[in-house]
Amino acid sequence: MKPGSGWRLLAPALLLLLIAFVVPVGMMVPTSLRPYVPLVGITGGFTARHYTRLVTDSYYLEIIGRTLALGLTVTCATLVIGYPVAFFLARTRSRGRNWLTILVVFPLMLNLVVRTFGWIALLAQNGLVNQALQALGVVDGPVKLLFNFAGLLIGLTHIFLPFMVLVLIGAIQNIPRDVEDAARVLGASWGSAFLRVTLPLSAPGILSGSILVFVLTISALVTPRLLGGPTYQVMSTLIYDEFLSRLNWPAGSAQSLLLTAMVLALVYLSGRLARRAGAHA
Amino acid sequence: MTAARVRAWLLRGWVALVMGFLMLPVVVIALASFSRTSYLTVPPRGLTLRWFAAVLGDPEYVHAIVFSVVLALVATIGSLGAGVAASFALLRRRVAGGAGVAALLNAPLVFPGVVVGVALLQFYAMVHLNGTLAGLALAHMVITVPYVVRAVTASLQGIDPELEHAARVLGASGPVAFFTVTLPLIRPGVAAGALFSFIVSFDNVPVSIFLLGAGQTTLPVKIFTAIEYGVDPSIAAVSTMLIVLTGVGLAVAERWIGFHRFV
Repeated sequence: MKPGSGWRLLAPALLLLLIAFVVPVGMMVPTSLRPYVPLVGITGGFTARHYTRLVTDSYYLEIIGRTLALGLTVTCATLVIGYPVAFFLARTRSRGRNWLTILVVFPLMLNLVVRTFGWIALLAQNGLVNQALQALGVVDGPVKLLFNFAGLLIGLTHIFLPFMVLVLIGAIQNIPRDVEDAARVLGASWGSAFLRVTLPLSAPGILSGSILVFVLTISALVTPRLLGGPTYQVMSTLIYDEFLSRLNWPAGSAQSLLLTAMVLALVYLSGRLARRAGAHA
Repeated sequence: MTAARVRAWLLRGWVALVMGFLMLPVVVIALASFSRTSYLTVPPRGLTLRWFAAVLGDPEYVHAIVFSVVLALVATIGSLGAGVAASFALLRRRVAGGAGVAALLNAPLVFPGVVVGVALLQFYAMVHLNGTLAGLALAHMVITVPYVVRAVTASLQGIDPELEHAARVLGASGPVAFFTVTLPLIRPGVAAGALFSFIVSFDNVPVSIFLLGAGQTTLPVKIFTAIEYGVDPSIAAVSTMLIVLTGVGLAVAERWIGFHRFV
């Protein structure tokens, strides 16, 4: 076996990565440092203005804060809703298990725009959710569920729940049933066996599932755009408008690099946390 | 034992509720697409197929569907070639820094889709690739290759390398041994990778939307812009078509290759 043959096989994938990813993303760095004059465009010289505005201007700070708040709440919601489902799917011996798993995967495979569209129909002023709430007498008039935090929270939780469930299934399956049984035999109640044995042992899955959902939420474009409209902005929709409507590519590049830095920092930190947990185990 | 019984039923009830939540928007769209009304309403009033006829009779929708299918096929074929070769190299050849290469191949999935989209928008504007099928296919391949690599690697890990080695000892050349011994054995992984790749490309919005030329559109981008202009039952009808196709495709994939093993 020639030593170079591995690299020859990798060449097409790496070349593709270089011209359609590494170079284009790298080029955003110089763009983000260019001055931009409205109605004129990108001018010569260098400026750090696009970055300083991101961390000082209250308009941008609000959008960044909102994006992170959404990430956090969606992560918690998917974890709380998804853990029991993952536990059931990981532990059940029923024959319907694989098809139930496929049922969790189905929304993932279904077009994202289509799924989000369903939520528009559900959350609108005269939508099904408002009809149901009024019929049940929970509220008197229609509740605003679109173009605000609640709408984005519901839609994004639905979109990213399958990811959380799938990651948790893997983690819970890796816990031998015997350790739970051992705790029970030694006198632990079901509750304390779960809280002191199963839950801590599934912590790596909780960590990676949470990081995944958080990162996906702050990166999401389609769902926040359709459920939040052009007024209720998050970072990705801000970037979208900067590039397609305002044509301020330098500012858009700075925002893109900030969002990317946030994502990469999280992925890096979670990797370190997981390694540290692994070293202690 | 009764407490355990109650717990088991509570758990089942919760699972049923969550499954209902997951399916809710799907059911709502499917129902709304049959309504006689010209606005979106659930439950549907009356029953009609005219919104389906409207979609299939609309040349814009038909063009978008054809363009999406062609783009997804090109991206899938391309990413199968690059992806199968890459996962074979990473698993069966000694590559210095293989872990780093694998992480690099996955990077486009870690980066926000919108960032990949705007980065390519700027780059393609410079090299005049914007609005071209080749440019779009390359952009899609960057995000579909990782899926192929993952599915193929999962299959390849379950195959004994000695089988291919035996074929080599018996006189088969490297490519012959790969194509006649290894490739048939990893067919489920290749099929799963192809399916993922097709779906990811066909569904993509955050990258496509920045790279499409004037008069060019993919189906999800067409639906996306249609929703921004206003919601009507023909959007529900085209969505229902996608729901049925996805459901059938997934059921076939599960029967054929046990698709749940690859997710």
